[in-house]
Amino acid sequence: MMVTGTVKRVAMGTGTWAIEADNGTTYEIYRGAPPELLEDGLKVEVNGSVRDDVMTLAAIGPVLEVQSFEKR
Amino acid sequence: MRYRGTNLKIALCRTHDEPIMKKLLLTFLFLLGLGWALSTFQGLAAQGTYDSIVLDFREDIPPAQVEQQLEAIRSQYDLQPRLNSEFSGTDNVYIVEGDRQRLRQLRKEFGKFVEAIEPNYIYGLPKPELYRDSDCSTSTPEDNAALSPNRPNDPLYSKQWNLQAINVEGAWLDSDGANVTVAVIDTGITQVPDLETTELLPGYDFVNDRERADDDNGHGTHVAGTIAQSTNNNFGVAGIAHGAKLMPLKVLSSQGGGTVSDIAEAIKFAADNGADVINLSLGGSGESQLMQEAIDYAYNKGVVIVAAAGNANQNSAGYPARYPRVVGVSAVDASGDKAPYSNFGAGVDLSAPGGNTKNGESGGILQHTIDPQNGTPAFLAFQGTSMASPHVAGVAALIKAAGVDDAEDVVRILKESARPVQDDTLNHFGSGHLDAKSAVQLAVNGQLTFRDFFRWLRDNGYLNPRFWIDGGTIALLPKIAMVVGSYLLAWLLRNYFPFRWNWNLATGLVMGSSGVFVLRSLYLFDLPQWPLRVMGSSLPELGTAIQGNPALNPIFASVLIPAGLILLLLGHRDWKWFAVGTTLGVASCLAVSAAIDPALVWLGSGWVARGFLAANALACVALARLAVRPGGVTG
Repeated sequence: MMVTGTVKRVAMGTGTWAIEADNGTTYEIYRGAPPELLEDGLKVEVNGSVRDDVMTLAAIGPVLEVQSFEKR
Repeated sequence: MRYRGTNLKIALCRTHDEPIMKKLLLTFLFLLGLGWALSTFQGLAAQGTYDSIVLDFREDIPPAQVEQQLEAIRSQYDLQPRLNSEFSGTDNVYIVEGDRQRLRQLRKEFGKFVEAIEPNYIYGLPKPELYRDSDCSTSTPEDNAALSPNRPNDPLYSKQWNLQAINVEGAWLDSDGANVTVAVIDTGITQVPDLETTELLPGYDFVNDRERADDDNGHGTHVAGTIAQSTNNNFGVAGIAHGAKLMPLKVLSSQGGGTVSDIAEAIKFAADNGADVINLSLGGSGESQLMQEAIDYAYNKGVVIVAAAGNANQNSAGYPARYPRVVGVSAVDASGDKAPYSNFGAGVDLSAPGGNTKNGESGGILQHTIDPQNGTPAFLAFQGTSMASPHVAGVAALIKAAGVDDAEDVVRILKESARPVQDDTLNHFGSGHLDAKSAVQLAVNGQLTFRDFFRWLRDNGYLNPRFWIDGGTIALLPKIAMVVGSYLLAWLLRNYFPFRWNWNLATGLVMGSSGVFVLRSLYLFDLPQWPLRVMGSSLPELGTAIQGNPALNPIFASVLIPAGLILLLLGHRDWKWFAVGTTLGVASCLAVSAAIDPALVWLGSGWVARGFLAANALACVALARLAVRPGGVTG
């Protein structure tokens, strides 16, 4: 699935990375995402899939495993 | 005749509130209490402390003879009598060192030369009550220690607004979580310096599949700190159930995520390895059959499972918090409002401090953990429902350690003791704000255990040595059998119809079975003895107590008065238990009397009396059973 939005650092517990999608959903970025993606405020278009079988300490929303991304 | 039924109906309708009977009962209880107080009052003299003795020599004996006696004291007892003050010479008042034994010796030896030989009591102000309020923001350990016996000496405790918000100091009076195991299913636990005295049990790292479950993120250690940070160690911060043992189970990677399969396995591992409480400061949106089964497995093994509601500010908790058998915890900030990130609504059972660090670290939850950046130990303040959940897990451990074994009871106590929040239409808070003190109090009060019964007996002087000595003048053993018997009846009844142990029930049990029987052997000055005998009698003995007749009056020694009490008080939430307790107490008294000494006025002491007492004892048990049964005669 494609998600467009803004990358955010979220201070929840020890902290995590998220994409605030333009449609209002907040996705938590799953581990293993490319390091270049993890930059606060970066506007991106991401190709990934939601991992329903994953739980996180931040628990801020659906967990998105990123396959690829493009800066916008 | 046709009016009789109507009268009975009126009587039943009026059971809810019968002011005159209530007054009578209260008066009786007041007298009882008064008698009780008198019986336990030992007078000042018996309690005073002294380490010297006053000798007041008679003024009509010549000074030479006084001097002779003083010399005798010097030589015989190796004492140095001294004048009490420079003004004591004319009165011949001398002081010598000595205790109770010396006092006795001196009285024997010198009694005829003195006006008085007395203990030189030390008078002083009573020790002040220690200050227990916790909203004082001192930070030195010495100050902390001076404030309250429960205020820990951890220097950063004053920054833990969250622990003060849940009244944890009040809970520490009765419980510190000792011998309870809390499994922390998280990123692992590193034994940082402020976990030094906290016992870590063997756990497992499901992420890297190895025995050691060290933390490589900082989250799990922080959560563990809230539950059981080493406390009163003059270092760092405090933890809620600092006597509890921690079981580290690592399921989340260094980046904070983990799979449902690992989490489910960890839950089963915890249940199989003796965990009493599981904390799950993690969440996701996917419902999983695997996880559900693991939770049911642990639940059926009696484990209390607590989970964070999640941090998406949405109107339902995530999983696993949302499963019915999991206590879902939402987060509040320092002012008790819902934290802006916290989930709410469906699946939220309780709220606890999770903090809000938007305006700085002081709004967060402070614990000792490892710095996520470099892995070194640090005191860090975090926010999240992840931080709220371990507050509840910690209090669950306190409740367990206070003697509540059943997981369902622990959860019920957590919810019932929470401070409800008014107008919570969106269910931000579940049952309300977590309250550790009320929870532990409810845990301690709500049990029908021998420990509580003994505590009750002790508090009321039954286990006082004086009681045993004074009680020797009356038949003690049957009385003890009656009290214990009534307790056993209550215990048996509770197995069928669970109810909570309470003060009224305990009072009723003693009143019905034995009375405050220590009073019967008490003789106060020249007071007539019969009022004490009446107060010291059980209900069945009352009929003949005034005359002092050891035989029982069959009207009093029957189911009649208990039945009246039950009818009268059944509608009242609290007094009902007094009636039930009295009925069980009477049952026990009659049963013991039937077995040991079936003496009745008019009916003699043969088989007729024995049968009468036994039948009435059975009737009393049946009556109590009827009254306690949910939806019984109360409807």
